[in-house]
Formats: sequence, structure tokens, C-alpha cells
Amino acid sequence: MNLLTILIFIPVLFGTIILLLPSSLRASFKYITLLATLVQFALSIYMYLEFKTGAGFAGINHEDQFQFVQKLPWIHLDLGSAGAMQIDYFVGVDGISVPLLVMTTLVMVIATVASWEISSNVKGFFALFLLLDMAVIGVFCALDFFLFYLFYELMLLPLYFLIGMWGGVRREYAAIKFFLYTLFGSVFMLLVMVGLYLSVTDPATGNHTFNIVQMMNPANYSADSIFSAAAQQTILGVPARVLGFVVLFIAFAIKVPVVPLHTWLPVAHVEAPTPVSIILAGVLLKIGGYGIIRICLGIFPEVAATGAFWLGLLGVVSILYGALNALAQRDLKRMIAYSSVSHMGFVLLGIASQTAEGISGAILQMISHGFLSSMLFYLVGVVYNRVHDRDIYNFRGLGSIMPKYTAFVMIAFFASLGLPGFSAFVAEAFTLAGTFKSSTTNGLLPYWMAIGGSIGILLSAAYFLWTLQRMFFGKTLLKGGEVWRTALTDINVRETLTLVPLAIMALALGIFPSLVLDVANGSVLALVEFLKK
Amino acid sequence: MHDLLPTIPEQLSKILSDVHFFVPELYLSGLFVLVLLADLFIGKRSEKYCRAIGIAGLIIVFFKDYEQYSLAEQAGGAVPLFSGMLLLYNKAVSFKVIIDLLTVLLMIYFPWDNKLSTHKKGLSDLYTITIGSVLGLHLMTMATNLLSIFLAVEMVSISSYLMVAYRSESGFSAEAGLKYVLFGAASSAVLLYGISLLYGFTGSLDIWDPKFMVNLTATGIAGVGLALTLVLIGIGFKLSFVPVHFWVPDVYEGAATPVTAYLSTVPKIAAFALLINFVNAFVAVVPHPDFDFRLVLSAIGIVTMIAGNFAAVAQQNVKRMLAYSSIGHTGFALMAVVTYSPQGLNSLIYYLAVYAIANIAALLMATYYTNQTGAEKVTEYKGLGFKYPIVSVCFVIILISLTGLPVSAGFTGKLFVFSSVYATYQQNHDVWLLALMITGAVVTVVSLFYYIKIPLNLFLRKGALPFEHDHSDKKIIALSILLTILIIFLGLFPHFLYKVL
Repeated sequence: MNLLTILIFIPVLFGTIILLLPSSLRASFKYITLLATLVQFALSIYMYLEFKTGAGFAGINHEDQFQFVQKLPWIHLDLGSAGAMQIDYFVGVDGISVPLLVMTTLVMVIATVASWEISSNVKGFFALFLLLDMAVIGVFCALDFFLFYLFYELMLLPLYFLIGMWGGVRREYAAIKFFLYTLFGSVFMLLVMVGLYLSVTDPATGNHTFNIVQMMNPANYSADSIFSAAAQQTILGVPARVLGFVVLFIAFAIKVPVVPLHTWLPVAHVEAPTPVSIILAGVLLKIGGYGIIRICLGIFPEVAATGAFWLGLLGVVSILYGALNALAQRDLKRMIAYSSVSHMGFVLLGIASQTAEGISGAILQMISHGFLSSMLFYLVGVVYNRVHDRDIYNFRGLGSIMPKYTAFVMIAFFASLGLPGFSAFVAEAFTLAGTFKSSTTNGLLPYWMAIGGSIGILLSAAYFLWTLQRMFFGKTLLKGGEVWRTALTDINVRETLTLVPLAIMALALGIFPSLVLDVANGSVLALVEFLKK
Repeated sequence: MHDLLPTIPEQLSKILSDVHFFVPELYLSGLFVLVLLADLFIGKRSEKYCRAIGIAGLIIVFFKDYEQYSLAEQAGGAVPLFSGMLLLYNKAVSFKVIIDLLTVLLMIYFPWDNKLSTHKKGLSDLYTITIGSVLGLHLMTMATNLLSIFLAVEMVSISSYLMVAYRSESGFSAEAGLKYVLFGAASSAVLLYGISLLYGFTGSLDIWDPKFMVNLTATGIAGVGLALTLVLIGIGFKLSFVPVHFWVPDVYEGAATPVTAYLSTVPKIAAFALLINFVNAFVAVVPHPDFDFRLVLSAIGIVTMIAGNFAAVAQQNVKRMLAYSSIGHTGFALMAVVTYSPQGLNSLIYYLAVYAIANIAALLMATYYTNQTGAEKVTEYKGLGFKYPIVSVCFVIILISLTGLPVSAGFTGKLFVFSSVYATYQQNHDVWLLALMITGAVVTVVSLFYYIKIPLNLFLRKGALPFEHDHSDKKIIALSILLTILIIFLGLFPHFLYKVL
């Protein structure tokens, strides 16, 4: 058996066990889920250690350089005049997906522990949770567009129910808004996917293929096909390849989310239960960034180069707009949601620069944000579980009654605002360095975008520190009075055990960013080379 | 008459020699009589026997279809039967196979609806009528002569009228039945008018006759346009595309749920086969210079998709909602028709087959809820997901398939239709095809908006109504699970069905 396949489908196995067990054993479900995520985490660590780096293992547009590959014929259909349809079960990883896989599996473990509070309908919760887990891992591993799309869409339904059934007051609205938004992006992605598949033939078999790696090679496009670079076809007056890029970009930009397509995010994050918020912020947003790198850049490199300015602009707008919004929130969870928008803007900016520094920074930012946003949402969940309130102005001087908690909050806040020594600092510094370099080397992004990004960091310091001051410092004053005071006990062992690994990861990646960069470097360089062509 | 006399023996021998291509239909006729007689002679307890005979007979017919398929293949793929009245070709047999199997499924399902099965006359007549209508449907898939087209359509229509009005104790159902008969009769008249015009223009009823097309081309656009529009209205009434869809919601809501399941699937599939036969003749022989079928059908398809899906958003009654959604699906399927390519035809058959399975399953589960709790509106489904978890989860998966999301057969159907349209678009860059695809994508989002209302009420809202569990409905649960597994299986491995089409 292939390791990646096991990694993807382990949750299904455990999920089936949960479904088959009688409800009287419901107390065991969380342990089963924890076991599943821990096994996954161990596997991903093993893969990370076994992963071979170097120029010969860069991946990106070389099918033979991917690792842990499994390729099985899946759907083969002779469609007569339109040629044969070839869909493979094709999974593999390169330097871009491996760090994300490790991050995802760790966040999944954290999210499982965060679901300890879930008390209603436990069987359904963990079954959906594990289904979501499978889909997310599958997206990062799939190298066949059809398979990718399958996993991509498969995330939606479990999330709809996870938000809608276990969420807050406005959960129905949040769930449907999230679902419709994402679906809107992905149905058009389906059209582009079908167009690409009909344009590309596998040189080995001569069939039309959904293979993403083959789609990156311009030589595989038939001469008269819609997405052939040489044919320069237009759809409704717009060059077809530009349109294809824009459609795919919108689909992923909704996931990232990029302003102005971000409006689902604050609602969904706020209404979702803590574990789902963690998965949403920690993992799902990364799928957007990953999709842009792997698919938008990989399949339409020349459009990405001409459109880099606009990508960068959207990135800067997201950084600033998200930060300004975060500054204005009084709901703690909402503030963190908007800070996610702001931080994910760096990912887009880094990708747009198309320099090695920028793209490395983007990947590092995705990993770093994965850990930090999980930590932040978990921390919000701690307070919310105790008093069912998270209005910033209803708390004051928490530092004196919950000292351990406050320590973790400070770590998370300082790490997120880009304090040197923490992961976000390195990531943002790399991104901005890449943006600066871009104007002199490839001329894609102007200087002022880097400055805009820096202002975003400044703003993030403002809202994090201000929140810290409002909620944790000063004399203790709580809206709920004595009731709240007794309810607000400091964090327990389980909560500490959850937060410690996240804090360690934030610190470790800040001090040794090479943990990620060494693995990713070969692929990033290959990608930059590929984009230059 | 004297002119005909010398040719009569020759014609008779030709007809006799064609009979062996016509075996499934002969079996159906026999089966029809057999079920009718069983009903007459066995008496009050005939219901079970009629059903068993009907199902067994249809399965035999299915095997005969298979033989027919090999015969047609041996004879070169397409055989005109009975001096051009019918055209037997391999895809027509695919349509027939699907119709037969779906009818078996429906026959199994008929007595499970409490409202229908408590009918005081029993269901024996309903089985007889169903078999009769299947015969009509078989003829529809092969009809290529204006006369046989009309006869086949009428045969199906009349049995449909009877089925809709079968349970007429409630005023609403009676109203639905009456409306259906009136509208149906009017549309038949319109169809007949169109046919008579075409006959008048061309002097022939055989649409594959070269003379037919040559004469038609010589006729002015106004006359041809009028005649073809009238014929399209007649066929469109069966297909329920806009603007002749207005009967659908009332009839689907008023009819007994299994009958709705029947109406929304099987006749629609046959009507698509008929439309393909009709349009093929026009596209393949000599395309009329002025009347562009692709333009007309594309425009109808777009309008139908939009109207059907947007109207469904406002519905509260589950059956009514599914009625509007089935209009939307017709529009989507028209997309595959206008490709005029073999791949498009295959995609169409696949799409219709999986749509029909999902739609029957959805109505089967609607029956389940109505049997158990009396719920008919979406809002009455509140909290039922926790009481009936298995059926509810199946329902969600079926609705996902109807929306066209992975992993479900509906998604693969959508994928095949899109690829066949794309393949055609790549060749001719017809902007209508592009518009169809974009509309198809947009309405997918719209359809999610109303389909999701059912899971929303089942799982996201809490219900309060106490009611008695009826544990006799295990059969429905079993069939729902079976169909759901089938839908997921086809979502993962569509080639198992696509290859045999």
C-alpha cells in the first residue's frame, strides 16, 4: 500500500468504525478520532523525514520528481470523436505539499482535542469531522484535476453540517453562505477543468487527461484547443487562457479569502464551533493558497506573470482592509477572523512576486498562520466555553485571574503580529523581501506594495496589542460579575497540552524556518524557474 | 386502392419479416393483456399477482431488449421497421432498457405509498395502465413517422391521464387530473395541427423520406417555422420545457407521489428519445436553411433552466419543489441534445438515467416521511433527521446528486454533459453552447439553494411534533439505501454505466 493513500483514507476507516459502533459507546468516539488523527500525524512526520530534497526531487512540472506517488487507472472511457477520457487516481507530493500536510495533520489533532466539549450528536460530529479530514488531505495530495475537484467539493458538505448543526446562533445563515460562496467558485472551476481536459492529451497514451502535471506542459495542448497557448483562442472576446486563469483564481480566492470575496469568512468563523473554526482558519484557507500556486500558476504561468500586478494589489488590499476591519471589531472571534484575512493577504502578495523569497514566504506564512490561527481560535474557545461571551469590552484584567491563559494569549498575539523570533515574522519578512526584490528583478510588483504590506504589519500590532490591553491588563472587571469570575478558571491540563505544541511550532519555525524552507526550497526554485519561461 | 393492390403482398411480407425486430414490444402487448386478465379473474386479491406478473414480465422484456440490441447491431446499427414507421437503432434500445428498468423500480415502489395503497379499488388497474404506457414509451423511442409519433405520444398521454387521476378522492388531486387532461388534450391537438401542416407542405409523413426535407426546404420560413413550433410544443409538453411547463407543478403536487415519480422520469426520457429522433432527421438529412434547431433548442434550454430553478426556490411543498427542479433538469439535458454528437447522445442518456434514479429515490423518501409523519412541506421536515437518521442521510446524498456535486452520479452526469458540449464548442465556437454551459453552472448554485432546504430542516432545525413510528416501512429504507449506494457508486465509477449505454 502506498503511504499517501493510507494517509488520505485512514479517517474514512476510523469514521466507518464510529458509524458502526452503537451510540452507547459514544464516549469512545473522541478517542477513536484522536487515534485516527494521531496516526495521520505520525505518518506525515515519517513522510516529512523520508522526503528527499534537492534538484532531482523538485516536483512541480516533472511527474517523475514527485514522491510517494501512486497512480492507478480509474475511469477510462472511449468517447468516440472526442477521444478517450482518462482519469487516474494520481496522488503524490512535492516540496510545496509536504509542509502543508504536516501542518494539516497537526491542526487536525488539535481540532480533535478542541472537540472535547461537543456533547450533542457525537457520532455525527466525528463522522463528518473525519470525512472532512480525508477531503482536506486529499486536496493537498491529488495530482489529477478530477480527483482534486472531487476532494475539493467533498469538503463542502461536511462543513455545511458541522457549522450548521453545532454552530452558534446564526449558524444557518453562516453555513448556507459559506456553501453557496464556495460552490459558486467551484462550478465555474468545473467548466475550466472540462475545457482543460479536452485541450490536453497525455503524450504517453494519446488520451485526453485530467493530469495536472501534464497540463503544465504547453506541448501537450492540441493545436486547435481552447486553452492552447499557441492557438490564442478567445471566449466572448476575452483570451481563453486569461479567462481560465481568472475563473480558477476566483474559485481559490474565495477560499483564501481575498477581499472582496471574503464576506463569508467572518460569519462562518464566528458561528462555527471551536474545532471547526480551527480547521477553517488553520487548513481550509490554505487550500486556496495551495490551489493558486499549484493550479493557477502551474497551468497558466504566462497569465500569472501578466496579471501579477493585480494579484499583488489584491493581496495588499486584503492585508490592509483585513487589518483595519480587525481593528474595528468588538467580538474577539470576529477580530481574529479578520486578522486571518489580513495575514492571508501576505500569501497572495508573496505568490504574486514570483520570486523565490516571495513564494517561500507565502508557503511559510501558510504554515505559520495554520498554527497561529488554530491557537488563536482555540484560545477564544477557552473563554467562550466558560462564559459564553466573547465581547472584548465585557472583559478586563483577565491577566490576574487567568495567568497561564494570558501567557498563551500573549505568545499567540505576539507571534501573530510578527515579533522577531516567531514564525510569522520570518514569513512576512520573506514575503516583503520578495516583493521588494520583484520590482528590480522581474518587475512584476511596484515598491509601494511592499510598503503597503509593512503598514499591514504595523496595523496588526495595533489591534493585537490594543486587544491585549483591553482584555487582559488593568483591574479585573467582568460583565458577568462574580458568576463569571468563578467560571473563568485558568486553563486545565488538556488545554495546556493542546496549546503547548502550537506555541512550540510557532517558536520553532521562527528560530529554524529551515524546517519548512529546506523541504520547500527545491520545489520553490523549480517553480520560479518554470514561471520565468 | 387498385394501385395499392399489387404491392400489398410485398408489404405484408416485409412487415412480417420485420416482426422479429419487434419482440420486446410484442411481449409488452402480451404482458398488458395478461395483467389485465389477471386483474379480472383473480378478483379482490389480484393486486399482488398483478404486480408480480408485471415486474416479472418487464424483466423478461428487458432481456428481450438485449436480444433486440444484438439484432440491431447485426443489421448494421439502424433498421427501419414497418415501412419506415419506426426506426430501430442501438441508442433507442438503450433508452428502452432504461425505461424498463426504471418501471420495474416504480412498480416495486407503487404500493408503498400509504395514500395510494389505501385506494379502495386496489392498484391492479394501475399496474395494467403502467404496462400499457411502457408500450407507448417503447414506441416513442423508435417513432420516426409523424403518424407513429402522434400515436405513441397519445398512448403515453392517455395512460398518464389515468394515472394522475387514479386517486381522486381529494379535490386537489381531481383538479390536477382534470387540468392535466385538458392541457394534454390541447397540446395533442397542437401537435396534430403541426403534423398536418408538415404533411401539407411535404406530402409525406416519413421524416426520413428525402422528399420530406426537400419539399420542406422549398417551403417558406413562416410556414415551416409555425409547423415545427407547433410540433415542438406538442413534444415539449411531455418534456415540460418552458413555456409549456405550466401544468407540471400542479400535476406533480396533486398526483400520488409514486405517480409523480413515474411522470417526472420515464415519459420524460422517452420524450427526449423522441425529440432526438425528430431533430436528427432535420439535422442529418438536409438541414433547413432558415430554421435553426440548435438556436431554438438552446434558447429554450436556457430559459427552462433559469425558470425551473428560480421558481423552485420559492416552493414550500417538497413535491412541488421537485417538480420545478425537474423542469430545470430538462433544460440542462437539452444542452446535450443540441450537441448533435454521438458523445452528446451518450451523455444525455447517462444524465437522464442518473437523474431518474435520483428523482425516484427522492420521491420514495418523500413518501416515507409522508407515511410516517404526514409531512409534505419542507418546514414539516424539521428535526426529522434525528428521528430517521438512515433515510435522512440517504436523502441528503440523493439531493447532492440532483444538485450535481461530487461524489455522486449526478456530478458525473453533469461532467459528461459539459464535456460533450465543450467538445462541440471547440469545433464550431457557437456562442449559444457557451451560454448554455454558463447558465448550467449558475443554476447549479441556485439549485443548491433550494435543495439544501431539505437537509436544513432535517438536521439543522429542531422539531417538536410527537408521532408514532411506523415500523412497517423497512422496505422503503432498504430500497433507499440501495439506490443511494448505486448513486455513490456511479459517482465513483461512472464507466460501468456509461460503457454499456
